[in-house]
Amino acid sequence: MRRASAAGVLLAVVAALVAAGGAGAKARACGTVTINEQAWAGSTANTYVVKNVLEKNLGCKVNITKVTEVPVYQAMADGKTDAILEDWGHIPQQKQYVTKQHTVVYAGKNGVTGVIGWYIPTYLMKQHPEFKTWKGLKGEETLFKSPESGSQGMFLGGDPSYQQKDQTLIKALHLNFKFVSVGAEPAQVARWEQLYKQHKPVIFYWYDPQYLNATYQLSQVQLPARFKGCLDDEKQGGPPAKYACAYPTYVLTKYMSKKFADSGSPAVTVVKNFSWSNSDQNYVAGLIAGKHMDPDKAAQQWIAKNQAKVNAWLGK
Amino acid sequence: MASVQAAPRLAVAAPRPWWRGTPGLVVAVVIGMLIAYFGWQNAVLWPGGLTWQSLSHDLDNFQTWLSDRRNVPHPSVFFVVFNGVATFLDDIVGWLTSFFFKLTWVGTTVLGTAIVLRFGGRRAALGTAAAFVSFAALGVWEASMRTFALTFASVALSLAIGVPVGIAAGRSDRVQRVITPVLDAMQIIPAFAYLMPIVLLLSVGPGAAVATTLIYSIPPAIRITALGIRSVPTNTVEAAEAFGATTLQTLLKVQLPLARRLVLLAVNQTILFALSMVVIAGLIGGQGLGDVVTNGLYSDPALAILAGFTIVIMAIALDRATEAMAIRTDPAHRHLTAERKRALRIYTAALTAAVGLAIGLGLALHAGSSWSRKTAQDWLLARIQSVLDYVQNPSTFIFHITNPVGDFIVRWGLTPLDNFFVQTPWPAMVFGLALIAFLVSGLRPAVTTVAMLAIVGVSNEWTQAMDTLSQVLVATALTLLVGIPLGIWAAESNRVQKTMRPVLDVLQTLPQLVYIIPFIYLMPVSIVPGVIAAVLYASPVVIRLVDAGVREVSPNTVEAAGAFGATRLQVLAKVKVPLARDAIMLGVNQGLIMVLAVVVIGGLVGSGGLGYDVAQGLGRGLFGQGVLASLAILCLGIALDRVTRGRVRRREGIV
Repeated sequence: MRRASAAGVLLAVVAALVAAGGAGAKARACGTVTINEQAWAGSTANTYVVKNVLEKNLGCKVNITKVTEVPVYQAMADGKTDAILEDWGHIPQQKQYVTKQHTVVYAGKNGVTGVIGWYIPTYLMKQHPEFKTWKGLKGEETLFKSPESGSQGMFLGGDPSYQQKDQTLIKALHLNFKFVSVGAEPAQVARWEQLYKQHKPVIFYWYDPQYLNATYQLSQVQLPARFKGCLDDEKQGGPPAKYACAYPTYVLTKYMSKKFADSGSPAVTVVKNFSWSNSDQNYVAGLIAGKHMDPDKAAQQWIAKNQAKVNAWLGK
Repeated sequence: MASVQAAPRLAVAAPRPWWRGTPGLVVAVVIGMLIAYFGWQNAVLWPGGLTWQSLSHDLDNFQTWLSDRRNVPHPSVFFVVFNGVATFLDDIVGWLTSFFFKLTWVGTTVLGTAIVLRFGGRRAALGTAAAFVSFAALGVWEASMRTFALTFASVALSLAIGVPVGIAAGRSDRVQRVITPVLDAMQIIPAFAYLMPIVLLLSVGPGAAVATTLIYSIPPAIRITALGIRSVPTNTVEAAEAFGATTLQTLLKVQLPLARRLVLLAVNQTILFALSMVVIAGLIGGQGLGDVVTNGLYSDPALAILAGFTIVIMAIALDRATEAMAIRTDPAHRHLTAERKRALRIYTAALTAAVGLAIGLGLALHAGSSWSRKTAQDWLLARIQSVLDYVQNPSTFIFHITNPVGDFIVRWGLTPLDNFFVQTPWPAMVFGLALIAFLVSGLRPAVTTVAMLAIVGVSNEWTQAMDTLSQVLVATALTLLVGIPLGIWAAESNRVQKTMRPVLDVLQTLPQLVYIIPFIYLMPVSIVPGVIAAVLYASPVVIRLVDAGVREVSPNTVEAAGAFGATRLQVLAKVKVPLARDAIMLGVNQGLIMVLAVVVIGGLVGSGGLGYDVAQGLGRGLFGQGVLASLAILCLGIALDRVTRGRVRRREGIV
């Protein structure tokens, strides 16, 4: 009896192995490419569009990793991730891995411009046109009062992992705001969404491109113009006055692993050439996050309409 | 009455009025601190001269140095060894994952069910089958199998390491003393702080994910096993030794079998702790359900909730299956006759054949590595979304209650308390807290408190730490207030225990952000969501430990008390609870540690303080900041733990 059962197991295992061997992916010269996807919808859009282009046009097998922003540089250094398609400026990591170690390689811009700033709902802007610039906020901060801000107005800070300098900026501009760190992006969205739905005043750190900007009408408060030598990373320290300028416009960039860049895979060209506009990305991200469409289908829908752009990436 | 009054009162010291006892003195100290607060609010900040300014930067440099050493064509032996470990762990998980996929979804389901059916019985097997079917039905089969492989490897390794160490700690006081602070640190220091070093040593991927999980899931295995060994009555052990049993025999035949209930609790907690790390493990390449939760939180909350509950289903199924298998294979209850053995053998063969058939069928019919046909996912997501829509609507009836309640708690409770801790002049704070520690537990805990506060101040975390401390105190108090009575109640009633168990499983494994973020829509304020997340996460451990401890009390003692005419309440208060003191104290310690373990989650939902700094440390690559903030959390933990523990020692008259 025992022997019979052992034979059964053996048979099953052998059958399993044979089946697995036969079902290998049909990959041409391209081989396997690993792209890293980040949590925000724009990143999903980039990743799936490139994935579909690589799979359909070059016959690559594309894996997707989801390593978070900073560790992903080490993942690229190790060759576990081949490319990231959207980076919002991790200067220390770039210095270390790109400039010093040469384990990660710059792969050009992805065409999307990132804007960071102070946002208020458009209905509020209409009621208070003076909020167009930060000067209009002076003296009216108490409009933004909340239970946790006491006698001051509440400023909702951004996700701890995002680039920000609002605490210093508030100090430098002598505004009567209390910086309230409401946590990760989904938690911050929960806070301002509820106030937005009640048409109450709210001011917060926010950015574009973001798929929610299609659902909610938001307007930017103009911060002081940028000047030479103005700072953005408040962790650097120094006098607050040095930070009294708007956030820079971020040209979002791509990076790839040195190993991948040297591999000669045709996918390298596509990763280098990949570039599209804010509205392109918003379109795909909106389908994925707004309409909950399958990311592959959303990407294919965009590709079908924009074959010319795709051809340019392929170098055709 | 008259006779009592007539009795001479000399023998008994007159009871001191309360204001001269400890509570009164503590109140006096607090009043003193309040005077300092109102008099010099925000006026005396921790002096810059007393901080080690460059420490954070030095730590950053250390990390850069490590990274530069590692990312060269031929790294040193040190990195090669870690690389080997990473490859080993990666291979285990990778092998398990591809094994599940190669069996096809049909084969995997039948194999899992058959194993549980053979060793655990019908009921547990039904649960296992239901879990596998639900992974397919929810449309998350592939992610579930990846998470399952990761968890399986993590739990197996945790137990392989944890149970032996736990036995050692249970048998030797010295081992216990040495190991306890290490375990505290493993549980309190947030994973966010060591993710980057782990990635530098083990790279990203399943191996790094397993390592991260192990750091968090080994401690409960060790602690509870040790508690189990210690809870075996000394006279039983002595009796065994008197009969000439060797140490090994005593351990295997007496201590371990008698500690069975607690060892099982250790297995249960290891599984739940490992699964509670799924989301964090996802951040460094753990893949599977953790990734689905993270992405869902940013762009599709309903999907995050669905994936979160899949983790819960896996936890409950795994736990019930291991429990059933452990009970059924318990040698104390198994008396196999030759006939029964034969029947079992035939049964095994039949099951093996069934598994082989299922795998063969799956392959022949091209069932595929995962279920890809129509699932109930869309239907379920729509249902979850409609609940979310209600929760997120600020014009509902519920919102009109929760919103003002939240505002009130923050405005009149938590914010003033926070201001008190943060803005009181630091010398008054240090002196006041040390004095309270001295009054409550004695000199040594007071010295520890001062030392810990000094470390916090010197590492430049004073303000953030006071902010966090105020919240941790509230959360811990609530946790114990909820946990201890519920634990005792569960020990007294099987029905309560049974009803509560799945709820506790959910609270321990459902990723906190999954339920706290919808909660923020109902109560859009800071701090409250973080405190609630902490209480919900920490109280299950307290309830379980108190429950197990009270149940562990020897029935003979209880019967004896009953025979002397004690009422049920008297038995509980005078016999069971005092005798279960070890377990209750471990419950208090674990409650506190669990509250501290989710400080980071608080930082992600608006509690600010140290949790925010730790999260930012990982997110922006500020290694030093993350380490220092974590160290501050650990310091708060050590001080609070010593103060609560000291109190018990003092009562026993040790100090």
